[in-house]
Amino acid sequence: MAVEKLFKDEATEEKGERARMASFVGAMAIADLVKTTLGPKGMDKILQSTGRGHSVTVTNDGATILKSLHIDNPAAKVLIDISKVQDDEVGDGTTSVVVLAGELLREAEKLVGSKIHPMTIISGFRMAADCARKALLDRVNDNKDDAEKFRLDLMRIAKTTLSSKILSQDKEHFAKLAVDAVMRLKGSTNLESIQIIKKAGGSLKDSFLDEGFILDKKIGLGQPKRIENANILVANTAMDTDKVKIYGARVRVDSMAKVAQIEGAEKEKMREKVQKIIGHGINCFVNRQLIYNFPEELFADAGILAIEHADFEGIERLALVTGGEIASTFDNPESVKLGHCKLIEEIMIGEDKLIHFSGVEMGQACTIVLRGASFHVLDEAERSLHDALCVLSQTVNDSRVLLGGGWPEMVMAKAVDELARKTPGKKSHAIEAFSRALIAIPTTIADNAGLDSAELVAQLRAEHHKEDSNAGIDVITGTVGDMSELGISEAFKVKQAVLLSATEAAEMILRVDEIITCAPRRREDRM
Amino acid sequence: MAPSMAAAQPLPSSKTESYVDNKRKDDIRTANIKAARSVADAVRTSLGPKGMDKMISTATGDVIITNDGATILNKMEVLQPAAKMLVELSKSQDVVAGDGTTTVVVIAGAFLKQCQTLLHSGIHPTVVSDSLNKVAVKAVEVVTAMAVPVELSDRVSLVKSASTSLNSKVVSQYSSLLAPLAVDSVLSVVDPAKPDLVDLKDVRIVKKLGGTVDDTELVKGLVFDKKVSHAAGGPARVENAKIAVIQFQISPPKTDIEQSIVVSDYTQMDRILKEERSYILSMIKKIKATGCNVLLIQKSILRDAVTDLSLHYLAKAKILVVKDVERDDIEFVTKTLNCLPIANIEHFRAEKLGYADVVEEVSVGDGKVVKITGIKDMGRTTTVLVRGSNQLVLDEAERSLHDALCVVRCLVNKKFLIAGGGAPEIELSRQLSAWSKVLHGMESFCVKSFAEALEVVPYTLAENAGLNPITIVTELRNRHAQGEINAGINVRKGQITNILEENVVQPLLVSTSAITLAAECVRMILKIDDIVTVR
Repeated sequence: MAVEKLFKDEATEEKGERARMASFVGAMAIADLVKTTLGPKGMDKILQSTGRGHSVTVTNDGATILKSLHIDNPAAKVLIDISKVQDDEVGDGTTSVVVLAGELLREAEKLVGSKIHPMTIISGFRMAADCARKALLDRVNDNKDDAEKFRLDLMRIAKTTLSSKILSQDKEHFAKLAVDAVMRLKGSTNLESIQIIKKAGGSLKDSFLDEGFILDKKIGLGQPKRIENANILVANTAMDTDKVKIYGARVRVDSMAKVAQIEGAEKEKMREKVQKIIGHGINCFVNRQLIYNFPEELFADAGILAIEHADFEGIERLALVTGGEIASTFDNPESVKLGHCKLIEEIMIGEDKLIHFSGVEMGQACTIVLRGASFHVLDEAERSLHDALCVLSQTVNDSRVLLGGGWPEMVMAKAVDELARKTPGKKSHAIEAFSRALIAIPTTIADNAGLDSAELVAQLRAEHHKEDSNAGIDVITGTVGDMSELGISEAFKVKQAVLLSATEAAEMILRVDEIITCAPRRREDRM
Repeated sequence: MAPSMAAAQPLPSSKTESYVDNKRKDDIRTANIKAARSVADAVRTSLGPKGMDKMISTATGDVIITNDGATILNKMEVLQPAAKMLVELSKSQDVVAGDGTTTVVVIAGAFLKQCQTLLHSGIHPTVVSDSLNKVAVKAVEVVTAMAVPVELSDRVSLVKSASTSLNSKVVSQYSSLLAPLAVDSVLSVVDPAKPDLVDLKDVRIVKKLGGTVDDTELVKGLVFDKKVSHAAGGPARVENAKIAVIQFQISPPKTDIEQSIVVSDYTQMDRILKEERSYILSMIKKIKATGCNVLLIQKSILRDAVTDLSLHYLAKAKILVVKDVERDDIEFVTKTLNCLPIANIEHFRAEKLGYADVVEEVSVGDGKVVKITGIKDMGRTTTVLVRGSNQLVLDEAERSLHDALCVVRCLVNKKFLIAGGGAPEIELSRQLSAWSKVLHGMESFCVKSFAEALEVVPYTLAENAGLNPITIVTELRNRHAQGEINAGINVRKGQITNILEENVVQPLLVSTSAITLAAECVRMILKIDDIVTVR
């Protein structure tokens, strides 16, 4: 007799063919959703939030789109995860990885349909991925030793990354910004010291890179607006009043004069605190919390520049770049590390006044000020620039560079095809399928640009049949062009990550033969 | 251009012959364009000097009558994302140039209309989008070539452009008064050290109901929309004022820690009252000792800024008191008075005071304001006192004045003027069509359509003025073809004249930013192929 009931109420189980179909369909749906954003002529999506305010985001960034989706399909979630991982690891190629995984699954679906065991497909995919990676490694370009050429590589990578984004019109300008910023980091991948400030107004072209740190705050009233050789104390302390934190504490007095005395004493305490702070030998004081009028005036009298209400991120970064530490007690001046910088001054960006710290201790720090017509544009510009910065900082460490525009896919596809021919048995079908999935990427790029993809990809394939071809899709003119002449490059690390994680994800989804959906947790259970 | 010709067919299916649902994508794009166009149509009738106003009744029941595109759109509460983008567009124009907020939306609407036709004939959106970008770049070139440089010292030209902006508003009959006022107030806050930057925050607009817009005046000094505190018959006018801006309170002490005074018998009560009196008196004595005779007191939420008792003593000491000055205003006030705020009675020193010839309370309409004039070493700020017979007019006057101020600021930023009255648009349209003939393929086709789209501005201007738009636009085209690049629609006379001679001018920045922003927005809408609902 069969087991009558294995699962709890409402828990469902899908088996075998059905389970596989469900995951294939889910994953492909996700891939198709972001497919149109691929490439320099990819389209954007509006993300309309159902939350409060119905805020609207316009974006082209695969990771951003995917991470804000409502998804119920488990396989689709796997794809979203690989896109996230890709974003964290290398920052770019978030769309490509999902599209490739989707295409792999599409091919796999057909193979499964023709009764090839999923495990055979997986082993074929593995061999193909390995071969593709080797093919890429053979063709990488490494200009690490030649600083001049390396910079050119970086510029090219930045331009290629940016060309699919909103910044494409001013990609020259932004590529330069990004490369300059990353070069300042000198090999570190700590993007935290690159600060991005968004200010509405002006056009994207007015964006600039600034050496130093900019704080979007105001200087207190009556205080110096310019300080040279500043000693900065960064603090997180209450500058309103020091309260007794015991609940219900109160003072009983019997006359008005005593109340006045207590008030006086409170003022005196604040004055002492200010004196202690001043005693650190500083001329700039940055606090995370509010500074009330009274201490503000005391600072003004002492000729100290005091900045109140700097946000958490702001002071942490400021402490980092000026080499100081965030202090919250001021009894031991010798134990507090002060930050230093050459010059603090007030600058105007657009209509707003900001505080500029230049000549900071940490030379790597810099600020990119983005200008743009509206917040949609600025947000999207920030995302795009962030992608470029990520890729560049990765490339600085791993300086291997490939050509772009569908070139790497064609190179891989060619190598994989050759492998398929050599491999006996059913596996060769899977390997062949892998190469078809790879070609889907240039096809999508061409499709998105409104070009005749079948024609172009066929031309491209013919071109690649020759040895050492540099052919790729030139989306601008809509023809097959020489990628090295056009200066379209991509980082090897990005491509490798795309290849490997897409294969892994596809493999994972292929292995699934049963989906068990657990019963949703009920509210009543808690009662 | 063989490959891009292929784009004329619907997208070929991908290599894997999967089912690609292209229909839905087209639908979304069309829906977006339609929504955005209906927004543009809503504000279209308010363009130009004879444009109509809109009455908006808000959810809270307030009524606003305005002609300002940005304000109309802002209050419309649209939900469709693409329509929202048009609202944003108008806001950006408001930020960048301050004027032309209707124009920018109308141009975007016209571009979208052309896009719709282009997309229907099967041109790929990216091709359309790229051509639009080229059009925008070229248009800026053309407009810049048309512009006439202007000097800041040339007050007449500045006034002209400010009045062009004001002419389309409710307050147009007062443009002869408001335009010079706007020019003077902006010029007076220009810092000679930074001649290209104007911070409009330094121009303060104070609204007061009563009188007519005619009574609007520029005050070289400060105006508070507040009464002098009269509780105990204090002075309402002080000459040779020594002004202190204080951030502390003249009231019985209050500690931050919770406290209670324990009274055990009634004699103690007497004593407490006496102490309170002497406490306040001692504070006021200290104030008096510095010679201060005007106090501006910052609003305090923690405790009363002044009490009846302290007001009484202050009145006795012949000190004029203005209370409840907002904390945000303190910077403006101290900058104007050239004084320092005082946060504690112990720091009350003569060197922190500001000096002015007269501080007086003036009745204006049904209310009263406090005016401070003749300020010694006054900072670079100005105050404009706007008057109006009802709240609606008053608000609209303020918005119009703001636009006019922005226009002048644009001229300070970018010192070029351009003709108004549809002249630049028709010239653009003409030059762009000519340019489209040297281009190839799809691009040429798109550029030509967009060139036609720009005719919407003179067309709408004529339409709103009750003229026959077709006659006007064709004649305008004809005149421009004959080389009269400054020919434009003279709405008052209802005919075409040299618009530069008619003194209808606007800053270059307004025109260029309208075109570039509109193009940017339309391109963004074109590039969207899906609306995804997210958390």
